[in-house]
This record gives sequence, structure tokens and C-alpha cells, in this order.
Amino acid sequence: MPRSRTLPEALADAARGDAGYCFESAGVARWRSYADLRRTSLGVARALVESGLRRGDLVALVLQDGEQFLTALFGASIAGVIPASLYPPATAADLPRYIELTAAILNASEARAVVTSRALAPSFEETRAMCPRLARVLCREDLEGPPDEPSTSPSIDDIAFVQFTSGSTSTPKGVALTHANVAANIAAFAGPHGVGSCGDDVAVSWLPLNHDMGLVGMALGALYEQRRCVLLPPQAFVKRPAEWLRALTRHRGTISFAPNFAYDLCVRRVKDLSGLDLSPWRVAGCGAEPIHPATLAAFAEKFAPVGFRDSSFLPSYGLAEHVLAATFPPLGRHPRVERVAADDLAERRIAVDAAVDPDAPAAALVSCGSPLPGHHIRVVDEHGRPLAERHVGEILLAGPSVMLGYYKQDALTAAAIRDGWLRTGDLGYLSDGELFVCGRAKDLIIVHGRKYHPQDLEWAVDDVAGVRRGRVVAFGVVEAGRADRVVIVVEPSGTVAGDPLTEAIRRRIGDLFGIYVDDVAIVPRGTVGRTTSGKVQRAATKDRYVRGEFTAESVKA
Amino acid sequence: MPQPASVAIEEGVIDVLKNVSRRPIDPTLSSDLVADLGFDSLQVLEVIAELEDRFDISIPLNDVPTTRTVAQVVAQVAGLVAERSNA
Repeated sequence: MPRSRTLPEALADAARGDAGYCFESAGVARWRSYADLRRTSLGVARALVESGLRRGDLVALVLQDGEQFLTALFGASIAGVIPASLYPPATAADLPRYIELTAAILNASEARAVVTSRALAPSFEETRAMCPRLARVLCREDLEGPPDEPSTSPSIDDIAFVQFTSGSTSTPKGVALTHANVAANIAAFAGPHGVGSCGDDVAVSWLPLNHDMGLVGMALGALYEQRRCVLLPPQAFVKRPAEWLRALTRHRGTISFAPNFAYDLCVRRVKDLSGLDLSPWRVAGCGAEPIHPATLAAFAEKFAPVGFRDSSFLPSYGLAEHVLAATFPPLGRHPRVERVAADDLAERRIAVDAAVDPDAPAAALVSCGSPLPGHHIRVVDEHGRPLAERHVGEILLAGPSVMLGYYKQDALTAAAIRDGWLRTGDLGYLSDGELFVCGRAKDLIIVHGRKYHPQDLEWAVDDVAGVRRGRVVAFGVVEAGRADRVVIVVEPSGTVAGDPLTEAIRRRIGDLFGIYVDDVAIVPRGTVGRTTSGKVQRAATKDRYVRGEFTAESVKA
Repeated sequence: MPQPASVAIEEGVIDVLKNVSRRPIDPTLSSDLVADLGFDSLQVLEVIAELEDRFDISIPLNDVPTTRTVAQVVAQVAGLVAERSNA
């Protein structure tokens, strides 16, 4: 077991070697050694201290550029300041609403400063009135200083960073991880029971760095292991998925992780395979959203002629509250797929081999493997009692990767972690000790590997003209083998007709979150119920929707 | 004054939109990409890549957020095509 190191210590160690990150953009590759990145980060640390930030203060990073983000993260960490990553706006089309959403996070996390781009800085300046604790809005470009060695350093149990997934306005959830958490998870997933990291490895990633898989799995994993890592902007991949495969080819990439949708995009959109060579790619990780065996099979078939091997797939399970990785299958194994009876899975919550009744609908699930060394898993019923194998329940995790907690949210933290066990909100079952994930207990919506809190979508729609305030419900309908369907149910105020209202709602969600609302159900007044504490009845409304009660005909009736 | 070239661009844009959409759509110049045609941010980028290939242009990503309607896409493509042929 390697000695547990803080982020600044890992950076200092890596700076003694010659590895580094390669930032690739628009066909231009720029290598920067860890030594070079550390020098820049020391300057950032100095500038943050000189701007008045003190040890333990929280600084929010809202940065699109990979190099700027990483050196700001390292710099803050060196300065003993707590960096928090926030999603930059999906588009510039509805900036005021984005800023308002982000201001709620800044307030709840008592952020002392924001570090952002010159383009966004003026908008954040305007939030100062809403955020009394916010002392500074800093442009990343201005954070430069001499690369002096720091006079202090964080301890292993200090917070390494806080990751805000999707910012919920009422109770923003920032996952706070200690340096010990991060070091433990990386040591476990990089080790022989994980990806078996070795000196020749080259990681290639287009994942957003404000996402656990992109930040910890790819960028920090490479840093702590002192390996090379090629980083592409997420947009470059989404625009041309072949760019990912070309970068893997060019750099002889050996490790790359992505959500299921990325493999699907490659199957559908990569037309020209000439010049590709994926034979060095030994770990093709897949996680962050439900994994569909059919997607993996189609990808393997399509790219086998250019050297891709089915046994390179590493379907895995994890979540930000557990740093990143929780379970991995053995390396070099073909994905283990179970076909189980869909009805038994949904109603009896038991995974019955579909071969028992070949005519009944079946669900194909892929194994995410077993817990990493030093980590533990349980599947429990609603009373928290461990279940037997093949019984579906909530997945609980324990061990050194369980987060410190939700930043400044003690009640939420207490609800999430009991006696050292983290409640994941995901449903699954164990079979021969391996985990099969088959659903969600929490009402999160997952689109393209990113998690959205329904409360955020509801809040975003709440002030659209024509919507009755406080009578909005958002949820995802999980469909086997597909991305979640995003549904919004609203009561109209009566001022805007149905079609324009639907359009306005789709536009608002598209502008703020970049996702498409599959269905907008406009329902009569009084349909959206509230709990005694004043919250919308999301589960009840979703049940009625799924039962077909809100079709156009029944609503008009 | 409508030019034959702009008609070709309009048809090309509409053809790309139909190819990229995963559901049947009938785009007109006034259709909104997100609200009417149901494109998410992923598909908007796919549309851009397809347009770049078809018209041999490079669409700067910075301009994308302000593009909402089919007419705006057509105008942007027409502008870039004109720039390319003048260059």
C-alpha cells in the first residue's frame, strides 16, 4: 500500500518525473509536464493568498478550459483553500438564470471567492449583492505570481475539493472529499485489482473535469500514478466522436473511460475507420450511467477490425460520493452479462434467469464486478437489512472512499451515511459477489452520464411565463436500453397557450442544462399535489404520468 | 433577393436536420432547434459537424449558443460559405 498523499504532495512527486498532461484542441497538441503545471499552480496559490483568501475558505471554480481549471484546482489546494468545482453554463443564452442558480450554490457553501473566465466575471460581480459572504470575483487569467514554495500545506484529513454535481437551489449538494479519500480511491482503482496502472500507460479523456470520472478517474489518476494523460475538450468529442478514437490512435492510448452514451455515439456516428488503431487500448472503462450490453457489443463488433478487443471493456460502478470507483470486474475479461426476467426484477425484486421462461420479457444486465480492495458493499432492503444474493435492494458502500459529507449540509450527510455505510440511492443485486445495477431509488435524472436533480429543473421552469408557480414536477422515466426520458408536468397559470408554453419550457431547460425535455404534460389546476411540508408530490405525480393519466385526451376531459 | 445558392443551402440545412433527428421532423425556417425540433446540446453539435462536412466550412463553437432557429443556421452557413468562396 503506497503512502497516502495529499494533492499538493502528489503533484510535487509527479513534478520530479517527466510525465504530464497533453492538452489537445483543434488538432493542436500541447504537452505540459507536471513540473511545469506545478510552477503555474504555485503562482496561482500565491495570488489566491494575496487576494485575501485564508486556509479553509471555499473558492468556487467556474472554468471551461481544462488547463486553467486544473492549475486553479492545484493552486487552491496548495494554498490550503478549498476548491469547489461548479458547472459552467451550458450555453450563454440564459446567463441571468444560470447566475441565479449558481448564486444559490455560492451562498449555501459560503464561498469566499469565485475564479472564472474574463467573459463570465462581470456576471458574477452582479451576484455580489445576493452573496454577502462572497468577497472576491477573480479572473483566472489574472492569477499569476512567482512560483514560491508554500509555507504551509494541507493535512491528509483536510478537504481536497468539493464537487457540486447539479446545483440544487434549496439544498445544494457539494460532495466534500478529503485528501485521504481521494488517495485511497486512486490507489485502489489504479492498482492491480483496478486498471493495473503501469509506466507505459497513456490515458486519453474528453470527459468534463467537473465530473468525477473526468477529474479523478482520468486527470488525477494519471497525476497520482505519474503517467501521461491526454485531455480533449468535451465539445470536441461530442461534435466529432471520431476525435476520441483518433486521439487514442495518435497517442497509442491504453486507458480511457466514458459513459455508455459515448460508446453509442461512436457506433452511430463514426463512419470512417481508416487510419484508426485501437489495439493499444487495454482498458475501455464504462460507467457513470446505466450500461447497456447491446451498446458494448455493437461497439466491439464495429471496431474489432481496427484492433479493439471486447475484453478491454471494464464496466464499472461508482459515484462522486465515493470519490469515483466502487466496483470493478477483473481486467481482460469479456463483459459478464445476465439475462433476467423483467417482471420478476420489477415486481418481486428478484433476479431470475430469463431462460426459465424464454417467452417472458427479459432485461440484459452487465456485471460491474466486485468491490475494490479495502472497500465493502452491501445490498439492503428498505429497513437496511442485508439481502441474499440475487435480491434487488439499495446498494450501500463502506471504506476509505466514502466522502467526508455534503459540504455544510449536516442533515443531508447524516441521512446519506449511517454507521460508515454510504447510501447510494442506486438499486442492484449481487450475483457470485459481483454487482449488477438495475435502477435508482433516488429521483435523479441521468442524461449523457450527468446527473440532474429534479428540483433544479423544477426551479428553472418555475418562473416561465404561463406556469403556475410551485406547481411544477420534473422526473426521469427510465427506459431499458435507452437514456432517461425527461418529463415535466406543469399546471398552467392560464396566461399562455399550451404549445407556446411547451416551447418556452423546452427552451429554458435546453438553455440552462443543455438537455431536451421529451414530454411536457400540462395538467389541470389542482393536479400537482403538495406534501404537508409544502413540497411537490413528485413520486405520486410520476406514478400517475406513467399510468397514462396525463395524456392529452384525459387532461382535456 | 433570394439566390439559387441560398436555396441550396436552405435545403442542405433542412436535410442535415432531418438526418440528425431521431424522430420524424418537418423543419421550416422559423423552427426553433430546441423547442420545436427537439435537439439537445449533443445533437446541436452533431448538426454543426454535419454542416461543416457538407458545406466545407468551419463553424466557430462560440457562435452556437446564439443560434436558435433554422433561419439563423441558414444565414450563418450562407455567410461562412460566402466567406470561403471570397477567400
